[in-house]
Amino acid sequence: MMGTILPVLASLLLFPGGLTVFLTGMAYEWMNRKLLARFQTRVGPRWFQPLADVIKLLAKEEVVPEDVHPGLFTALPVVALAGCLTAALYVPLWGVGPLYNFPGDLIVTLFLLSLLTLCLGIAGANTFDRFSLVGATRAFTQLFSYEAPFLLALLGPAFVAGSWQIDEIMASGAARWVILTQPIGFIVAVIGLIGKLELPPFDAPEAETEIVAGSLTEYSGRGLALFHMGKIIELVLGITLIAALYLGGLYSPLDFLIKTIALLIVIVILEALFARLRIDQSVGLWWRYGTLLVLLQWLGTIFWKGVAI
Amino acid sequence: MDGSRNHVIRTLETVKRWGRLNSPWALHFNTGSCNGCDIEILATLTPRYDVERFGIKLQGSPRHADVLLCTGPVTRQAHDRLLRIYAQMHEPKYVVAIGSCALSGGVFADCYNTLGGIDQVIPVDAYIPGCPPRPEAIIDGIVKLLSSLQPVELQMEKETV
Ligand code: SF4
Repeated sequence: MMGTILPVLASLLLFPGGLTVFLTGMAYEWMNRKLLARFQTRVGPRWFQPLADVIKLLAKEEVVPEDVHPGLFTALPVVALAGCLTAALYVPLWGVGPLYNFPGDLIVTLFLLSLLTLCLGIAGANTFDRFSLVGATRAFTQLFSYEAPFLLALLGPAFVAGSWQIDEIMASGAARWVILTQPIGFIVAVIGLIGKLELPPFDAPEAETEIVAGSLTEYSGRGLALFHMGKIIELVLGITLIAALYLGGLYSPLDFLIKTIALLIVIVILEALFARLRIDQSVGLWWRYGTLLVLLQWLGTIFWKGVAI
Repeated sequence: MDGSRNHVIRTLETVKRWGRLNSPWALHFNTGSCNGCDIEILATLTPRYDVERFGIKLQGSPRHADVLLCTGPVTRQAHDRLLRIYAQMHEPKYVVAIGSCALSGGVFADCYNTLGGIDQVIPVDAYIPGCPPRPEAIIDGIVKLLSSLQPVELQMEKETV
């Protein structure tokens, strides 16, 4: 009995779940901020900055504001983080094949990653603060606009591989890089990830120059720290997922580092280049161009498959 | 048993203090300044001075902020708002008064509509003089505030342990 429990516990708490995901997330957040700073000719944060931020937030006083549902207020950050940590088990983090798999785990992972945005939106709607409400509306609007193209874009490789299981898609994608055959899908997936993470230019839900901090305005201390952790874990998982599906799979830690850091650099360049889009502009972008382009890609793939058979 | 518990508490306190020292998030509030000091604060946040080096980040929400940067004398109108923003910030919180007006009322001292410096209304932890202070002075003030926190908290730690 002990023999079976211990490895499972270790995999949940140390590798690849728990601690490893946290540390990787912080390292990637630091890289993100440092690269952005260098692009803006700044020095940028010190290497331990994400850790210091999280520790400070965890040690800060937490106040539950009036007019909120207190249970929901404390539970939402925990649910959001739990969703992200669970998703980490199905993703080939650090190039070590996913720990658990079952047919259809791609869909489950994508929905676990959406849980964070969902919790963010509900957290904003839970408070009576007007900035939180506007933030929540925007978060949900953005969720409904990027989710469809992002999902379709990640299902492209799955469709070619004929499987909805991440490691099977990776095994079939290893022979050829899917990015070469489905470039539109790759672009939409990367931009969808930026939307999912609410990074510029899709940061309207938390635009601090307009609506203070969006749905997180009333959060501080532990709640804010947990949401923040969830977000940086989502950054790592999203990048890993796109690299695994589109860039010929991840088979070793070195492979993981090279491919994910390359993707991160692309994302940071986009972040530094573009100014924030208005919420209606980003919705239009997703539905008018993103979804249509991915559907075109799908049509092409279907025809190609029909010809090949 | 007791000794090891004290040891754990001390280590935790050290870690917490390290986090606080290295990640002060700031909130900027104009209590009635002529805007000169505000422009200097904005200049401090530009890439040229890059305060992200020290982990300083400008936050929009008082709930997220650790340091309240106040500029200008407290006008009668700003008084209630200043109190409310101070109350909305979560412990531990620090207040920095920036500019001569925030220190003593400056050129607006004894005006019928001002109450004097920030410390007439809320406790102030650091004073940065100048009309307006240069960005270097503001950065210096915040860094000095942070480094002066250390011994005080060490004392507190001794009291509690
Ligand atoms: S200190 Fe000088 S610059 Fe600052 S608010 Fe007063 S008069 Fe204006």
